[in-house]
Amino acid sequence: MERSFKAEVARLRLGAGQTFNGEGILAVTKALLQSGVSYVGGYQGAPVSHLMDVLADARELLDELGVHFESCANEAGAAAMLGASINYPLRGAATWKSVVGTNVASDALSNLSSAGVVGGALIVIGEDYGEGASIIQERSHSFAQKSQVWLLDPRPNLTSIVRMVEQGFALSEASNTPVMLELRIRACHVTGSFETKDNVAPKFSRRNPITKPVFNLERIPLPPHNYTQEKLKIDVRLPAALKFIQREKLNEFFDGDLRQVGIVLQGGMYNTTLRALQQIGLADAYGESRIPLYVLNVTYPLLPEEITRFCSGKRAVLVVEEGQPAHIEEAINSILRRADINDPHVIGKDVLPVAGEYTGEVVLNGVAVFLGLTLPDGVDIAAVEAVREGVVQAKKRATELLGAAVPTRPPGFCIGCPERPVFTALKLIEKELGGIHISSDIGCHTFSTLEPFNLGNTVLGYGLSLAAASAMGPNFGKRIITVMGDGGFWHQGLVTGITNAIFRNDDGVLVIMENGYTSATGTQNIPSSPDLSAKEGSPIGIESTLRGLGVKWLERVPNYQVSDVADALRRAMTTEQKGLKVIIADGECMLERTRRERPVKAQQLAAGERVVRTRFGIDDDVCTGDRACIRLSGCPSLTIKDSPDPLRSEPVTTINSGCVGCGLCGEAAHAAALCPSFHRIEVIQNPTGWDRFMDRLRRTVIGALSRRSGFSPTTAAEVGLKADLQRGAK
Amino acid sequence: MSTRPITILVAALGGEGGGVLADWLVEAALHEGFPAQKTSIPGVSQRTGATTYYVEIFPEKGARPPVMALVPSPGGIDLMAASELVEAGRAMQNAFITPERTTLVASTHRIYATSEKMVPTDGRYDAQKILEAAPKVAQKAVLFDMSRLAQEAGTVINAVLFGAMAGSGALPLPREACEHAIRGAGKGAEASLRGFAAGFAQASGEPSMGSAPVGAASSPRSAAAEIAARTPLPHTHSHRQSDRVRREFPIPLHTLLDEAVARLADYQDPAYAALYLDRIRGVLAVDREAGGEPGGWQLTKEAARLLALWMSYEDVIRVADLKTRASRFARVRKEAAAKEDQIVVVTDYLKPSANEIADILPPAWAERLRRNAGAGRAVKLRTSDVTGFLAMRLTAALKPLRRKSSRFIEEQALIERWLGAIKRLGFAVLDAELSLEIVQCAQLVRGYGETWRKSREAFVNILDTLVENEQAVAKGADALKLAIRNARNAALIYEEAKPAPAVKGKPVIWMKQG
Repeated sequence: MERSFKAEVARLRLGAGQTFNGEGILAVTKALLQSGVSYVGGYQGAPVSHLMDVLADARELLDELGVHFESCANEAGAAAMLGASINYPLRGAATWKSVVGTNVASDALSNLSSAGVVGGALIVIGEDYGEGASIIQERSHSFAQKSQVWLLDPRPNLTSIVRMVEQGFALSEASNTPVMLELRIRACHVTGSFETKDNVAPKFSRRNPITKPVFNLERIPLPPHNYTQEKLKIDVRLPAALKFIQREKLNEFFDGDLRQVGIVLQGGMYNTTLRALQQIGLADAYGESRIPLYVLNVTYPLLPEEITRFCSGKRAVLVVEEGQPAHIEEAINSILRRADINDPHVIGKDVLPVAGEYTGEVVLNGVAVFLGLTLPDGVDIAAVEAVREGVVQAKKRATELLGAAVPTRPPGFCIGCPERPVFTALKLIEKELGGIHISSDIGCHTFSTLEPFNLGNTVLGYGLSLAAASAMGPNFGKRIITVMGDGGFWHQGLVTGITNAIFRNDDGVLVIMENGYTSATGTQNIPSSPDLSAKEGSPIGIESTLRGLGVKWLERVPNYQVSDVADALRRAMTTEQKGLKVIIADGECMLERTRRERPVKAQQLAAGERVVRTRFGIDDDVCTGDRACIRLSGCPSLTIKDSPDPLRSEPVTTINSGCVGCGLCGEAAHAAALCPSFHRIEVIQNPTGWDRFMDRLRRTVIGALSRRSGFSPTTAAEVGLKADLQRGAK
Repeated sequence: MSTRPITILVAALGGEGGGVLADWLVEAALHEGFPAQKTSIPGVSQRTGATTYYVEIFPEKGARPPVMALVPSPGGIDLMAASELVEAGRAMQNAFITPERTTLVASTHRIYATSEKMVPTDGRYDAQKILEAAPKVAQKAVLFDMSRLAQEAGTVINAVLFGAMAGSGALPLPREACEHAIRGAGKGAEASLRGFAAGFAQASGEPSMGSAPVGAASSPRSAAAEIAARTPLPHTHSHRQSDRVRREFPIPLHTLLDEAVARLADYQDPAYAALYLDRIRGVLAVDREAGGEPGGWQLTKEAARLLALWMSYEDVIRVADLKTRASRFARVRKEAAAKEDQIVVVTDYLKPSANEIADILPPAWAERLRRNAGAGRAVKLRTSDVTGFLAMRLTAALKPLRRKSSRFIEEQALIERWLGAIKRLGFAVLDAELSLEIVQCAQLVRGYGETWRKSREAFVNILDTLVENEQAVAKGADALKLAIRNARNAALIYEEAKPAPAVKGKPVIWMKQG
């Protein structure tokens, strides 16, 4: 696990009338317990990983309440788990990153929503859209619509979010329909507070199990009940939901004096829209807006009655709806037309972008253009324009002063990452064998597609890289290489890609990155994680699994040995043997390893034990600055600095103090025959008597052998170094 | 006007503790009784990429709960903090720094992006522009090297940045509240408080303890390089040459030539340094004819610099020599931050190929060895051990034999070809720019192994097809200049920077550009 969540777990125990302070996603977790859930599951991924992580650390509390918690194999598993609520009054929640997780879950999700539920079923989705997103950009709204799952999009403050979790369960039960709660990245991580209630132990649970099975053929999607289920959705569940939403006032109206216009917005867009209004002087800091607002905390289904009420008599209405297609805007147009209300102009994607995140700047522009078009009485358009113009001018000025755009800085492999050396080897093999088609997967290793590697031709989804290679293999003039992480392997790569490739006797090369965890999501455990505790599960090895499936050609290589990895790749690419050739690239996630080893070393150091600290170095005077090493590694600690040699006008390559001594740069220098600058430096801390004796001996002999003892500088670089050392000594 | 939230945007890189800094801010605000809120977009940006944290503090006690934003608005930031200089530049380009209200607090040190680092020559963004722009675009700019202060305080940069933010006066929070927040975080609080104090002092202008003040526009150039550039060299090995430099060369060249002469006398012997000065005299003559004096003898300077590097080319003898100097072990100890009572073991990663061995053999032997050249053998040599050191010293001791070695002979011949071309075309055309183009081609002769071989090939190719080619020369100085420059730049582009693949667009979008 990436970190411990003890403090967070303590907050889950807060009772009635106390105040919770913390992040949005943790508030959701607390709200689940207040709602009396019987079970919670999901698949980790930003921005909802914390929900899973915190519950995994909260076993004691969950045991007290009798709540079942599991890390599911994938999102399909998590959605299928909600099947427990189809026949039984068990409240359950599942969580994942969306839209990708919803894609994986969609089979179970369709069946779940068709059968309907009696126990409240809530799906908490982290909508990974916009800045910082690591996935394809689509909206989950479409899923809710096509499967008839209700979609909540609360205002992004903790009180609203918690209320919508609690009401979500009630809505689910009132309409026998699963409910999705959508939280954007920033809403998951926003901090705030809310007044807590006592946790509620579920009525039925491990502690008080259900004793009689419920059989109801109507809940099975076979004819004729699949047809009935669809009708039930429209005729019974939808009206029930609409009634509940209206009665409980889940959507909110905020009145304002500029009644000629109004804004309809997704709950999640509330704070951004209000900030835009504050910037142009149409709202105060406390949320008093001069333009009337209709805030949709439920974005599906919409309430025709509320919409017609809000829009009637207005000159124009702005719809602030992030993402595309513009489902809400279209629905509002349709609702007004059907109600024969034709006066208000419904303006949305005309003044706001169709695609992309609605940032502060985007919404400000949209609102300003909307006001410019509709000219409501009492709005100083010139003042509005002045605010916009200020931003335009600031950008123009920055461009004038800075010229070219500053370099981008995308995320990449961490210092010491065990996956980086595999791509170093892959790059060397590509040089040797010519261009190779590489089928990439989802995970930290997708960073291989970025500079300096630019390795990986396609990404088709989590655990899908081998399946994505199946048609490329026979159609490419050379074996192709597939990369998959151990996370992707267990998520669905094993069945969808590997089993079928073995079954069909496909000829290809599969590199499995075994770093021990799903590291991109925060180093959560998987069946093959090292040091699994008995509580977490029974370990399953990747190698034994593959052998069991009948993989004949399998090699395990230690990642940091670049030459060995390259040799294995070469053998796999050139062997006569047909069938799937698997290389398990073995190297534990450095983040996790460091986290485990650091405290141990600190303790040893404090106790006066001998501890060796390793890092690498580059000789300034030997490096000629061709950067071949950087292009083969991309390690953040491998960087450049001004040359201390006045004869060299270009920077030299250097290794900074962030180095953890993984050894990749040295091994790469060897494997690619780069340059002789690299060296390993071992600092022996708390040396033993023997260490000291040997060191003295060596230094005496070396001193006697040296041309110059001490050192009298001859070059400018040496003069500089000496001055530096003297300064340091003071 | 009614109260509005104080908006704070923190730009940092993954692993710098930006999240902790945002927590401190919120904690300090709550301690003061002010509503506060933070958001972030950790996701994958925590893996070394650029990321931001956004904090709002509502400076009014006991008010109704305000509505605070989750996203920063361009033109609407009160305090912009950046843990690195280019991140401050990025904030400018996104209009998060505006003269009406933004205080900019940024560290002046650079952490280079991969795209800047992977270029063979110098791909660094010109960060000086950001330093110059800062006071023009911000209401107030507080800039200094926080990375150094953090190192001195034995802490992470976030603590220094927090201190600088508090010291800038842009936070609506007293110093005590900030320090209280750091203390509350427990682990590492003492070091963080030291960093905070250093940052606070620097930003508020109060005299700081122990650390020298850093000017706002201090260049990121290393201290060692600066001192090296200023310090006159001791002329232990080369008195005669040094006198000659003074006698025969104009003053602006003295420092550079002294350095070169010292280097070459050290590399081979004083006679070799004398040969170097003979060669440079030839270039100086061209420079003089072309009227190079007003321009500060640019042609001679560049030729002197590149020739000195070329003549001290890195063969195994040179590398072994450099790696066994006392100065080298001192540098390694310093880099590794080894304390006096700690023992340092140095292991060199070497892979001398048959070609590199052949380089130091006489031509006839070299040819025989090159014919059966293999891949070379990877060696990890413990140079700090007696045996490793001895092996290196014995190799270095081959220095007197270098003059007979195959590579020495080849390099001298190629140097003469290059100098000959400079002089021949220089006197014929009297175009200083053309001469400079030819001179600069010598930057291609560098590196090791395959990189060196390919680059040198490109150099010879430029001589063959352009500089020494009658048809190419006949096209006129301007055409020739352009052709040489293009060929040189093409040779400097690294292999991987091949033209973009046919398929446009990337399969994965990690984050918004800019």
